[in-house]
Amino acid sequence: MTSLRTLLLAAALALPTAAPAQNPKPHADFSFFITSVGSGKGGNLGGLAGADAHCQKLAAAVGADKRNWRAYLSTQAVHGGPVVNARDRIGKGPWYNVKGDMIAQNLSHLHGDTLEEARAGNRITFRTALNELGKEVNGHNTGPDLMLPGEKNNHDILTGTRWDGTAYTDNADHTCKNWTSEGEGSVQVGHYNRPQWNSIHAAKSCKLEEMLKETTGALFYCFAAD
Amino acid sequence: MMRVPVLVAAIVMVSGAGAQQTLHDLGVPLNMDVKAGEKVSFFITSVGMGDGANLGGLKGADAHCQKLAGDAGYGAATWRAYLSTAAAGREPAVNARDRIGAGPWYNVKGALIARTVSELHGDTREEAYGGNRIIILHALNEKGARPNTVGGPQPLQHDILSGSRTDGRAYTTESGDRTCKNWTSNKEGSAQVGHHDRVGGPNQSWNSAHPSRGCGQDDLVATGGAGLFYCFAVDAK
Repeated sequence: MTSLRTLLLAAALALPTAAPAQNPKPHADFSFFITSVGSGKGGNLGGLAGADAHCQKLAAAVGADKRNWRAYLSTQAVHGGPVVNARDRIGKGPWYNVKGDMIAQNLSHLHGDTLEEARAGNRITFRTALNELGKEVNGHNTGPDLMLPGEKNNHDILTGTRWDGTAYTDNADHTCKNWTSEGEGSVQVGHYNRPQWNSIHAAKSCKLEEMLKETTGALFYCFAAD
Repeated sequence: MMRVPVLVAAIVMVSGAGAQQTLHDLGVPLNMDVKAGEKVSFFITSVGMGDGANLGGLKGADAHCQKLAGDAGYGAATWRAYLSTAAAGREPAVNARDRIGAGPWYNVKGALIARTVSELHGDTREEAYGGNRIIILHALNEKGARPNTVGGPQPLQHDILSGSRTDGRAYTTESGDRTCKNWTSNKEGSAQVGHHDRVGGPNQSWNSAHPSRGCGQDDLVATGGAGLFYCFAVDAK
């Protein structure tokens, strides 16, 4: 009986610490994540400011709000500008996911600025591209034959960016009208699970229901700029 | 494990995505796939040769590719192992990229792997950044199955022998042994490997991620391999 009581007492004492264990403390170097949820309005993120605030809010929810979080998104002149390159918003690196896995050493490594870097790739893979809660994003295996039953493929990540991390300069929409449209528009996405993380194809709608029918959950990348 | 209807469904869906003209600014367009079993010219060996990295040299490795291809019904093509060798005595170095024909290459499900040698290796920065299609979805063996990947069934089989640098060329002898003595050693030495799942190690390279611990079968297993290697048909049409 004594041992049972001890066990129960131990269990009771363990409870308060068990709750935080579900959300493990982010690694000290935590500086990269994919948003666990989107804005809820498809391609309308409330502009860059709204998207940054979303990054900051999600980071704060896991106790990582001391850093300056920025959304990896570009904006275009065609919508009245200003022209902003995603790569210029996120600091210099290195960046690490919530578990402390290194994502890229610097901007050049992240974007493959040299031929050798481009060949070898950065370290964004389906194993490292975690959300702020430490979970893998749905759909990492891409192929229908690899999907788990009921799994939704969300591998399209919003960027509005060219492969070198810069903004588009043409007159087409690549940014859901600088992240203000939740209806008409088009948006450039990347696949966090290879072969190309930041710029692989366009999604043809900015409306959340339409986006969800395809392979985008309207999620985006957040980086700590400091 | 995968039933044929599932495979067919997968191909139809993948091809379907291409048919919608999804604009791929980079990489290999999805809509260049062919029907399963057509133009088959790329696979990862379903089994190694069982003696670590001793493959009987390039000839032995080529014969292994040809045998597996033949057993799977693709023996009409001429198959080559994607392996480099170092210069030895009077023999010059051999670059894996020079052994495999000109492409394009397709896996057994009809998925385009790369259109050219340049695209396969990322000879230009744009090609390198876009990547070829040796990715978890398409990196299949001659039976249409996938060597074990990180995060999947174990033991891990993702260390694929290549003996090559990322550009598909042989290492210089100053780099030390990267080919398990030109694919004849099952003990001392080391072989450069790539990862067909693009995960783990210092980079995401399919053909040059890290050296193996040694050349024995146990050494290859210890670092996440099984002595598997890539095979390409040189006369892919």
